[in-house]
Amino acid sequence: MIKKKVILNFSPENVERPVTYQLIKKYDLWVNILQAKFEPKLGGKLLLELNGSEDQIKEGLSFVRQIGVEVMLLEQEVLWDEKRCIDCGACVSICPTGVLSLDQMTYKLKFDYEKCIVCGNCVEACPLQAIKVTF
Amino acid sequence: MQRTYEEINTKIRSGKAVIVTAEEIIPIVEEKGIKRAAEEIDVVTTGTFGPMCSSGAILNFGHSDPPIRMQKVWLNNVEAYAGLAAVDVYLGATQPSESQEMEYGGAHVIEDLISGKKIKLKAISQGTDCYPRREIESYITKESINQAVLFNPRNGYQNYNVAVNTSDRKIYTYMGILLPHIGNANYSTSSQLSPLLNDPQFRTIGIGTRIFLGGAQGYIAWEGTQFSPQILKDEEGKVIYKGGTLAVIGNLKEMSTDYIRAATFKGYGVTLVVGIGIPIPILNDEIMRNAAVKDEDIWTEIIDYSFPHLIKPSLGRVNYKQLREGNITIRGKNVPTSPLSSYAKAREIAQRLKEEILRGKFLLQEPIRKFTEESKLKPLLEKR
Repeated sequence: MIKKKVILNFSPENVERPVTYQLIKKYDLWVNILQAKFEPKLGGKLLLELNGSEDQIKEGLSFVRQIGVEVMLLEQEVLWDEKRCIDCGACVSICPTGVLSLDQMTYKLKFDYEKCIVCGNCVEACPLQAIKVTF
Repeated sequence: MQRTYEEINTKIRSGKAVIVTAEEIIPIVEEKGIKRAAEEIDVVTTGTFGPMCSSGAILNFGHSDPPIRMQKVWLNNVEAYAGLAAVDVYLGATQPSESQEMEYGGAHVIEDLISGKKIKLKAISQGTDCYPRREIESYITKESINQAVLFNPRNGYQNYNVAVNTSDRKIYTYMGILLPHIGNANYSTSSQLSPLLNDPQFRTIGIGTRIFLGGAQGYIAWEGTQFSPQILKDEEGKVIYKGGTLAVIGNLKEMSTDYIRAATFKGYGVTLVVGIGIPIPILNDEIMRNAAVKDEDIWTEIIDYSFPHLIKPSLGRVNYKQLREGNITIRGKNVPTSPLSSYAKAREIAQRLKEEILRGKFLLQEPIRKFTEESKLKPLLEKR
């Protein structure tokens, strides 16, 4: 069993497809919905944590792509502008899942995308506006 | 051991000065002791890079033809104070834009000026016989104007509170976002690297001291506003130095956006992140002892920012070693901490200042006057 976090981008054409149902039923994945945002007629986004074997996850995601739903990694939707960042650490203490930390040797910011639930706390806490979320 | 500024500068000029940062000095003093360290080390460099609201720039645009006596001035829609001579303004860092509000402000104009961007200037006037023009719109850059001088009335706070929030709602402060029920704790100093914590009694730092300011060489112009140094001691002997501040000045045209940045604290407003580094000449053993201070010996107070009055309740004391580890305990609760001042950048500044001195490019300047010693903070009373 491995865990993988992905963001599914739905278009107006495929927004009504029961994707989560099929990931569970057909591909035997444990699906944890961490965030969901849908707008009628516009599409939507799902942040999923998938639990399963590597093959199951691979097949499940290839099915998702086949029906036209875009599969994104967190790094593509949580954008950290390292040039803008000054490593102040204002984001560290408001992150509920420990994604953000200061390295105890260099005191530079570390970003552990695997722990991110796209809550957006860091976006509003960053005084340099160096973090953007497109979710 | 006694050493003079002149002796140090002679060594700097001949490339023989021994310089370390305020971090590097700690293990040296631990190993060799104060006396030997003081004999060997000539200068200790400090650094800080944090939000400093009381900042701004004096600009002189030059005269147009026909000339105008600018009475109201906007730069990229941010109003600058024009109640000076015809084409002088003071642009305050925290002034918000009239079109973008908190997303853009005086600090952003300063950052854009430093990075060489074109800035839109608009000015109006009632017109006089000697300055007939009533309005002007143009573009300026740092190269096109006469002077651009960063002059910050209060920077480099010696020490600062740790901010927490005991209320049941999230609050937006100049100390960042504070989560309810003491959900986080924010602090803001470079502690063992901080200029005024390495010379807490201002033995070497005074008016005229040459400093690293925003990537350029600047000077301490005066003690900062609200200057009110205090030494607090508790029963256990924990000492808190606080209240020292600096007014600093330097040529904005020579600065770099690596060391001056605009920032916006959500729900609070715009501020300027300023990089300052101060060299401390090791003139005697006492100055060496102070410059070797380390995080575990620097204490500060945990303050409840949800209390909407001037004097806010304290929840205890904590040292910077604990704060920097990322978690502290308040009322039995494990609380994550955030610095708002960049330690990585403070380190970079202290290092850069050290290298500049080593290369002979930065000589030490003895203060031409010490700061006013007795200075007490006065509140503003409402009188009728």
